[in-house]
Amino acid sequence: MARSVWKGPFVDSYLLKKAEVARASGRNDVIKTWSRRSTILPQFVGLTFGVYNGHKFIPVLVTENMVGQKFGEFSPTRSYFGHQADRKARRG
Amino acid sequence: MARIAGINIPTQKRLPIALTYIHGIGPTKAEEICEQCGIPLERRVHELTDDEVIRVRETIDQNYQVEGDLRREVAMNIKRYMDLGSYRGVRHRKGLPVNGQRTHTNARTRKGKARPIAGKKKA
Repeated sequence: MARSVWKGPFVDSYLLKKAEVARASGRNDVIKTWSRRSTILPQFVGLTFGVYNGHKFIPVLVTENMVGQKFGEFSPTRSYFGHQADRKARRG
Repeated sequence: MARIAGINIPTQKRLPIALTYIHGIGPTKAEEICEQCGIPLERRVHELTDDEVIRVRETIDQNYQVEGDLRREVAMNIKRYMDLGSYRGVRHRKGLPVNGQRTHTNARTRKGKARPIAGKKKA
């Protein structure tokens, strides 16, 4: 079920503060974050976030289309390269 | 005979049922449309007067997105996810279930018919 509109989008407040600081200063460095659950807001557009996937920080350059999605969607937590048998079959 | 919303030609059936043959109109919207046009639900499509057919056609044109337009919008939405590089987009690209279903077994609708694994021993 979708989130109620009256609550507004969910963002961890520390992330908002960090983004504002980054915006105010030179806008170049990656903002590291563990907050995969935060919604991407319009004011994040143009910033780069390092979104943690349990292993490393995946750099995500926020574009206009991404607004409304969550950060976690852009930082996959699983790496899967296919099965051995599949690859053998394709080669042979 | 009765051409509504482009290509659809349902006859013989009751109007609300016939309307559901249009992509984008289900039972609920079909009854809504009947109500808006002031046509009784029992009326069959071949019993409609020309005037009524026109009224139905116009209500659908004005208030509902159906057929090609709807298909295009859905495809566009999916394409948006794919271009974005988000998890949802990746799942669409790989032809796997998008909404967190299991893929250990099942998921055949998205994955298609089961392919045998080369070199796997039979029990």
